Amino acid sequence: MTLTLKQQLSSPAGILKFLVKYNTIFIFILLVIFSALISDVFFTSVNLSNLLKQVSGIGIISIGMLIVILTGGIDLSVGSMVALLAVTFAILVNIFALPLAILMTIVIGFGLGSISGYLVAYQKMAPFVATLALMTIARGMSFIYSKGSPVTFTTVGGQFMSDFANNSTLGIPNIAIVFFIIVICTMVMLRYNVFGRLIIAIGSNEEASRLSGIKVNKYKFLVYAISGALAATAAIIVASRTNLGSPNMGMAWELDAIAAVVIGGASLNGGKGTAINTLMGVLILGLIGNILNLLNVPSYPQQVVKGAIIIFAVLLQRFESK
Amino acid sequence: MKNSANDYRLEMTGISKSFGVVSVLKNVNLKVKPGEIHALLGENGAGKSTLIKILSGVHQKDAGKVILNGEEIAPKNTHEGQVLGINVVYQELSLVNDLSVAENIYLHKLGASKSWMNWKGLIHDAQELLDSLGFKIDAAAKVKDLSIVQKQVVEIAKAISEDTKILVLDEPTTVFDPNDVKKLFQILFKLRDQGVSIIYISHHLDEIFKIADTVTVLRDGVDTGSMPISETDKDGVIHLMIGRELKDLYPVRDIKIGTVPIFQVKNLTAKNTMVHDVSFEVKPGEVLGIAGLGGSGRTETAKLIFGADKKKSGTLILEGKEIKTNSPVDAAGYQIGFVSEDRKEEGVFLPLSIRRNISVTSFKSISSKLGFINVDNEYKKVLGLIEKLNIKTPNSEVNVKNLSGGNQQKVALAKWLSIDSKVIFIDEPTRGVDVGAKIEIYNLINEVAKKGVGVVVISSDMPEIMGISDRILVMHEGTFYGELTKDQFSEENILRYSIGEPLKQYN
Repeated sequence: MTLTLKQQLSSPAGILKFLVKYNTIFIFILLVIFSALISDVFFTSVNLSNLLKQVSGIGIISIGMLIVILTGGIDLSVGSMVALLAVTFAILVNIFALPLAILMTIVIGFGLGSISGYLVAYQKMAPFVATLALMTIARGMSFIYSKGSPVTFTTVGGQFMSDFANNSTLGIPNIAIVFFIIVICTMVMLRYNVFGRLIIAIGSNEEASRLSGIKVNKYKFLVYAISGALAATAAIIVASRTNLGSPNMGMAWELDAIAAVVIGGASLNGGKGTAINTLMGVLILGLIGNILNLLNVPSYPQQVVKGAIIIFAVLLQRFESK
Repeated sequence: MKNSANDYRLEMTGISKSFGVVSVLKNVNLKVKPGEIHALLGENGAGKSTLIKILSGVHQKDAGKVILNGEEIAPKNTHEGQVLGINVVYQELSLVNDLSVAENIYLHKLGASKSWMNWKGLIHDAQELLDSLGFKIDAAAKVKDLSIVQKQVVEIAKAISEDTKILVLDEPTTVFDPNDVKKLFQILFKLRDQGVSIIYISHHLDEIFKIADTVTVLRDGVDTGSMPISETDKDGVIHLMIGRELKDLYPVRDIKIGTVPIFQVKNLTAKNTMVHDVSFEVKPGEVLGIAGLGGSGRTETAKLIFGADKKKSGTLILEGKEIKTNSPVDAAGYQIGFVSEDRKEEGVFLPLSIRRNISVTSFKSISSKLGFINVDNEYKKVLGLIEKLNIKTPNSEVNVKNLSGGNQQKVALAKWLSIDSKVIFIDEPTRGVDVGAKIEIYNLINEVAKKGVGVVVISSDMPEIMGISDRILVMHEGTFYGELTKDQFSEENILRYSIGEPLKQYN
């Protein structure tokens, strides 16, 4: 950073540059102000807490999507994985003690992600294709294991998770806290950990990374596995909120996750993107849904608005690269 | 079309061209008659390709005139060039792998023709053309299924499918065996007799003397001579190609070369490239130069040693112990460094900061067991290198894409200097770098050598490689053809070995 904030904001051109650079945060703030003006309900704690609860699941898989996209890949399987792992968790929590059930679900998520990772890193399959296959497999399996209907939590452990997922600590929903912790860990990892730095290097120039002696395949494998583990975490959270695991969960969530990452300024070519901006992307998408709901806009027009916002955000980012 | 006053078909006069501050062509003349084979010669970087690219419309000239059949032309792109009858067979193949041979040959026409494919006619015409060339190639086959020789033939067929007036071939025979070369020559003779003007670029002097009628030589962007081939001989041509003075571009260093080799390579042969039976050793503190023409296998050799290409056989010995480098990860683990010639594609991370570029190889020394980076150490290390290499930047957070070529190259070097390499391969250390930065890079290489590192420098720049090396190995067609000690250094000797000629004996 060559300029201080004050220097940057001292000229109109500087302000414009600043706005473009931090455009996601800027859009986010604009949306908050707009929402507050347009609806009295928006700034109530009930609404804000609902908003956070709604975005936490997608938010967590968006973080997984971010690290995959940073390497220049994509993970289309995360939405279906949420369904499969939510069903898995519901079954497991009815059999095993809660900590064991949680652990097993996350390990299974990691394992499922590893399949994509293996196909992409070691079999050189295109990420789009490998994870598309995993997406339909996971969705199909979730229907098979649940026999097509939701699996309800029946044990004390399940009840505990349900309470946890629907309650708040210091006014912040517990599941949002989980999401924020994951965001902070990812921020730290991308900035201060070798793993994070190397996946950015790989996404920025895979050949140069290889010739720098980096184990490119290992890291590409790991990002998909981690994305799977994060899908498991998201699955546990969404299942616990409703006290059940359903094969219909996570429908098209992979698309929302990609949208959130892209709105957050990440490049689908890899090498560019941050956790904080992805968080903003998630909140922006959530906010749009929330305010449109408050305005009683039906869900189809909502989709149109969402798409328009994505285009607007990405167009804005093009100024930045110029 | 009016008749020109003389009998030249093509007259390029006073052509000049610069890329940024680098002047590539200075007042160059090239005159070609109809129905002649005109050889264009020169070292790597002499400006041959640029001249051809100006002719064909890839580049635009800064000054000068191009006259074709008495009319001044200035093609703005290759399409305009083709319409004028100028066709180029480039060294790098420009075929579409997933389309058929026939489609490739007529690709430029497909876009302009009707909406529906006339498969029958297309394949028939292409087959006829290929048959007339005397090579057995199925016009309906996919290009990706062809051998490299066949691809080159398709490339030639593509160039002559037009109403070609001027055909340029850039090193067409590098992949051919003698038999194929003969066939190619027959095609060229036939075209010549039909009145096509052929400009033929090659490093093989033998070939030139077999087929060319006239020869023009370029050196450092200047044409040093043009004459009928009958009026000169190999020595005369070689003399025109070289003959520069070594400038005092190359810093003097105090050389301390160890006696025991730090790194040895024995009978190294590649699985997928032409590199074969490569053996050499480098001693600590030594700067070993590897010379040779483009395509002789220099870069491939370095990549092979570094584990970026697959080996078939051979032994690597580092500090007396045999090592295996099956991947760049292994090589980096043994503290072998490699600075790629292709800086932008393989050397640096353009969108990332200088700091992130440099520390990518050295995380081991600046991070904890769990992989957490000690940012203070990182900054210390990076800022130290920025200062030492004199990288011109306001700070370490500037993205590498915003640096000049010379400074980018220093970043690429810094990446390997930040770990203590034992052997370091530097491929084209100063390509696209201005003179000031060149000297700094040479100083850097000297300093690295002084620390006892074995430095291997690959370079096409002859004065450079003679200026900085203690010893030069010359590659020719995938293996070392000869070794030159310091007292034998001369452009002529390097060139002779490069083209597979023995040294001239002086008494």
